[in-house]
Amino acid sequence: MRHFSRVLSVGAASCAALLISTAFSQTPASVSKTAAAAKVTENKVAPLHNPDGTPDLQGVWSNATNVPLERPAGTGGGRARAARPEPGTAADVHYDLSQFGLDRAHMKIAEDTRTSLVTTEDGRIPARLPEAQKRAADRAAFQREHQWDGPETRPLSERCIVWPNEGPPMMSPGYNSNVQIVQGPGYVAIEQEMIHDVRIIPTDNRPHAPAEIRQYLGDSTGHWEGDTLVVDTTNFTDKTAFQGSSGSLHVVERFTRLADDRLQYEFTVDDPHTWATPWSAKTFWTLAGGQVYEYACQEGNHGMANNLSGARAVERRAAEEAAKK
Amino acid sequence: MRNKLRIATMAGAAGLFVLAALPAAAQTAPYRAPRMADNHPNLNGIWQALNTANWDLRGHAAGMGRVVALGSEDAEAPGLGVIDGADDIPYLPAAKAKKDQNYANRLKDDPEVKCYLPGVPRATYMPYPFQVVQSTKTIMFSYEYAGAVRVINMDKPTKSPTDSWMGWSNGHWDGDTLVIDVTGFNEDSWLDRVGDYHSDALHVVERYTPRSPETMNYEATIEDKNVFARPWKISMPLYRHVEKNAQLLEFKCVEFVEELLYGPLRKQPRANP
Repeated sequence: MRHFSRVLSVGAASCAALLISTAFSQTPASVSKTAAAAKVTENKVAPLHNPDGTPDLQGVWSNATNVPLERPAGTGGGRARAARPEPGTAADVHYDLSQFGLDRAHMKIAEDTRTSLVTTEDGRIPARLPEAQKRAADRAAFQREHQWDGPETRPLSERCIVWPNEGPPMMSPGYNSNVQIVQGPGYVAIEQEMIHDVRIIPTDNRPHAPAEIRQYLGDSTGHWEGDTLVVDTTNFTDKTAFQGSSGSLHVVERFTRLADDRLQYEFTVDDPHTWATPWSAKTFWTLAGGQVYEYACQEGNHGMANNLSGARAVERRAAEEAAKK
Repeated sequence: MRNKLRIATMAGAAGLFVLAALPAAAQTAPYRAPRMADNHPNLNGIWQALNTANWDLRGHAAGMGRVVALGSEDAEAPGLGVIDGADDIPYLPAAKAKKDQNYANRLKDDPEVKCYLPGVPRATYMPYPFQVVQSTKTIMFSYEYAGAVRVINMDKPTKSPTDSWMGWSNGHWDGDTLVIDVTGFNEDSWLDRVGDYHSDALHVVERYTPRSPETMNYEATIEDKNVFARPWKISMPLYRHVEKNAQLLEFKCVEFVEELLYGPLRKQPRANP
């Protein structure tokens, strides 16, 4: 099982790109099936409440989505997607990932016909400031030289420290897109299956942890605004970068349950070292049900040792070849 | 005189009352914990064991640590032990040999050294806090160490679909006690730093019982036909973190063990890691 999860994750890394690139050319069966129901749930109904009166956000949710973060070129600036391409035409060709159990038809996906999650006018993230572009370029240049040097220069996900989707803001990882919310008095706990990290958010709007405490997932504090949970997160490290952000990232998330099976997740990010203006995005989660399984990552991380020893073998061979000349 | 008598009688009666009341108090009417809306005890909070069970479940005097360079910081802290009604763990003879081997290799093989998930019950008495987030539907146990987590199914019990480090937890209430039946373990976690272990046949029944506003009793019955001759039990109090704004912080220990696990595979291994 441990081995399986790593093999899967390697496959999924490459599959994620495929999923995104094909998102527009396929309409998964699950979406078609739920389209009718989704129309009904668009009408905001009285939200469910816990016995203590707080809105009930609990459940195992899928945050998988067919909608790209930014509006791709070729949508004519439209805010809604065209209908499914004619079956059998070139536009309908898509990769079948069912051999990995990753076919989108296997996942529950909230109905959403928009062309971008980003809610700016053009559906695009504002351009990064020069200092952010330089930061990204420097990092990329360093990585080109040093990516195989040791564990610290490998991606955080490969190191089993944190997955890029975890945020906050929390994005769909592309597979295992399962998020469980449990609420106790004064707290909302959010577990993301990838990679078994829990955010425990106090809802008393308490101050953030001291500024010197920097965390991969930041420090979150929340409060209720009507039926919406508002979560404010700061105290990030400079080791994660959401769309090129720095350790000064500030995230405000808004969770609103629109219906029994539909949750609206909005976020606004701002970072004076990355963007000139804050920007926002919105996505929908759908109730997945079931239980979240354990995603043990570090425990089966044979990939790290294999990658590094492979890199050393390549260097040795290159040295031998050079010595022969 | 009559008044004096009366006072004496009253005093005597009061004394009798006190005497009568004392034994009743000593019988300790069970503590009644604050309730959730569903009338079950409210176990929400940040808890931690204050003992040295993670070093050794048995009673043990202070001892030499494992890493010479760490001196007294790594010395084994003493403890009275948490095994209920016995001094030792009832290993099957063959299993005892494996335990001794684990002890000999503990610096290399203890999963805690490698930042692996701690399993149950070890997660409870590691030297880090954990938080209980309890709703009327579900109970989540979130542990600071390695970000370990369990979600307790309080609905109809379900069967473990696969083995895992933290096991598969079905819970129910027995009066004021939260009882969690945990199965579906893999064989890779340990019970403490001296190599006490189990197989994938491990079955743990935990009992969490509120005993005061800031404490609860923890018991775990441990059963494993491949390793132990009979079921055995540990018990300990758990203490609530009462400091203002107490919160779990990230303890993502992976990055602290990368040098240990991968150091020799670096392009330029560190001279003094």
